[in-house]
Amino acid sequence: MTMPVPCEQPADQERLLRERLQRSGYLADPDLATTVWLASALQRPLLIEGDAGVGKTALATALAQSQDATLVRLQCFEGLDLAQAAYEWNYGRQLMAIRLNEAAHNGVHQDGAARVREADLFSREYLLERPLLRAISQTGPCVLLIDEIDRADEAFEAFLLEVLGDYQITVPEIGTLRATHIPQVILTSNGTRELSDALRRRCLYHYLDYPTLAREIAIVKSALPQADSHLVEEAVQFVQRLRREDLAKIPGIAETLDWVNALFQMRHNSLPEDMAAVLGTLGCLLKTREDRFAMGPDRLRQLVEGRRTVGVAENSIEQAKAAA
Amino acid sequence: MTIATPTDRSATAPSERLAGFASLLREHGLTVGVAEQLAMLQAALHFGPLQEKPLQAAWRAIACHSQREWKLWPDIYERFWHPEKLRGGVKVSGQTRPSRNLRQSVQALHDQMDAAQKPNTQASGQQAAPQTAGDMPAVGLDVNDAGTPRAQGGASRTEALHQRDGQMWLPQELSALQQLARQITATLQPRPTRRWRVAPRGQRLDLRQTLRRSVAWGGELMQPAWKVKRQEPPRLFILADVSRSMESHAALFLRVARAFALEADARVFVFHTRLAEVTPYMQRDTPAIQEKVNAVTAGFGGGTRIAASLQDFARHHARAQLNRGSRVWVFSDGFDTDAPELLSAALQEVRARGARITWFHPTRQVPAAAAVQQARRCIERFVPFASLADLTAARHLLH
Repeated sequence: MTMPVPCEQPADQERLLRERLQRSGYLADPDLATTVWLASALQRPLLIEGDAGVGKTALATALAQSQDATLVRLQCFEGLDLAQAAYEWNYGRQLMAIRLNEAAHNGVHQDGAARVREADLFSREYLLERPLLRAISQTGPCVLLIDEIDRADEAFEAFLLEVLGDYQITVPEIGTLRATHIPQVILTSNGTRELSDALRRRCLYHYLDYPTLAREIAIVKSALPQADSHLVEEAVQFVQRLRREDLAKIPGIAETLDWVNALFQMRHNSLPEDMAAVLGTLGCLLKTREDRFAMGPDRLRQLVEGRRTVGVAENSIEQAKAAA
Repeated sequence: MTIATPTDRSATAPSERLAGFASLLREHGLTVGVAEQLAMLQAALHFGPLQEKPLQAAWRAIACHSQREWKLWPDIYERFWHPEKLRGGVKVSGQTRPSRNLRQSVQALHDQMDAAQKPNTQASGQQAAPQTAGDMPAVGLDVNDAGTPRAQGGASRTEALHQRDGQMWLPQELSALQQLARQITATLQPRPTRRWRVAPRGQRLDLRQTLRRSVAWGGELMQPAWKVKRQEPPRLFILADVSRSMESHAALFLRVARAFALEADARVFVFHTRLAEVTPYMQRDTPAIQEKVNAVTAGFGGGTRIAASLQDFARHHARAQLNRGSRVWVFSDGFDTDAPELLSAALQEVRARGARITWFHPTRQVPAAAAVQQARRCIERFVPFASLADLTAARHLLH
């Protein structure tokens, strides 16, 4: 683990990184930018945890885009194994090579044609590259995204240790394949399963929380510059209040963007006064039946207006209106 | 503890300071070994003394490995490097501890590293740049201070948990409880399911996988794949009585329930005259959540309807999940305002689904309440549980 000799001050490099990420459409806070820069400087994988929809995967995509690097993505799932993640021998091609060789030498020994040897069949040519091997074999800059690692089995985590620790993969038939260009590795986890200590210790760690009001407004404005500024501010304030509610699924940034986009498409310049119209678009934010039922028109109005309770006087006015 | 780096083999004061910080981090459960300390040192050298904010972010990324540690970090960091900022801290007169100024420390570290990298220039008679006036006493004090025990403010931190009935919990006691919960969870026997999974030493041939592997051998079945029954950890349900008679034990019960909710994914319910699930509140630990738990547990006044609560539990709340191998732990003294025979019927209903019931009672003896006595045959085991020591003693019985 060696720190490269700095050509510029770390603060400058970090600022550059932030600007590049911003150009790729990702607004990173200073701490996150420091961590990402440190991960590349120390050549360590970066483990990012956080709720769904806070921008973990988007960071890797933006990072690859900002550095003109190849993004190699490994989506983890239960039952993911070596053959799907690292490499697999191309058995069909190997068999074909054997058969073709047999046909070429059928009966008569020809001096000119070389016989296929076992070593030929187990060469890189017959190796099917899966994401991990593909990332290790890259000659240029590369970002390896190992997405939702908590969905993979524990046995797979153990295999990852070699890749993440030494940036190498051992293929028994060939030997150890080392990375010619160390990829920048980003692992994401929703925290549904506890990861092993060994894996955690090989990584730098960052917990990505929901953004603050100002940051979320900036994110939405940068993603949807054509939307009305007043609408964006009101909508984001509403979502921030909604997150404090007791919901089964808290809306993330992606949901906020969807919702603001929906309101923008419906040509609203601010949050509609009519709660029925808001309720109609709430499917962008609330994704479970319980949450949808918990948000009635009254509660919604309170959240829109930023109040916690509805006063008795106001209730009686509304009831009078309804009766009229 | 000293950090040996390739450039500096001697124990330097800033590195000792960092080792002290690492030690404090370890006390709070963070895994900070030599590798992490080296990385932190490198980050400190790289960022320099004037950039505390990015340096703190870098250290946080290096030292933290989980969300819990991430949330804990600001407090530990401030406590060590900026004790003056902490409000309500105990001031001890005559304290001899040197000020822990991060900027000075990192500057001193830089100076020492530079000095260590230029041994020849010093040997040839050239004087190294003099250190700043602020650094010298700090370094000297640190060296003297390294072996001496530091003042802790007078309060003893060694009081045992079982003497306080779960009212005040220190971080290390909470981690001890968490560890105990982990141990007990590990001893709960898993439940075999009808599903299979591939395993190197299985009892049955996995034909599909075997055929896939045979492609490598030209269709010859050279490499068989085996499978074993897939096992699932048992579902654990905890029902804590928070009625008036159990008021003094409610805090302990909820703490223990929370530990199992985190370790064993237990579903936690509280009951008095009615039953309410508090599992979501157990997963998160914020003041708002604590308020909610308090609101749920404090809104009682009448008696305890254990039988009705258990019936509600079996028929509605856990209807889909209560099956063979489920464990139902009831934390209660057994005083029920429902008719005694109702509890027996409710427990039978739970038992009929295959669940195993363990009754934790805060008294030494098995509750003498008529309802519990009538329902004894439905309850697999009675465990006295008035403190954490009781739970520790009973950990071998819970399987």
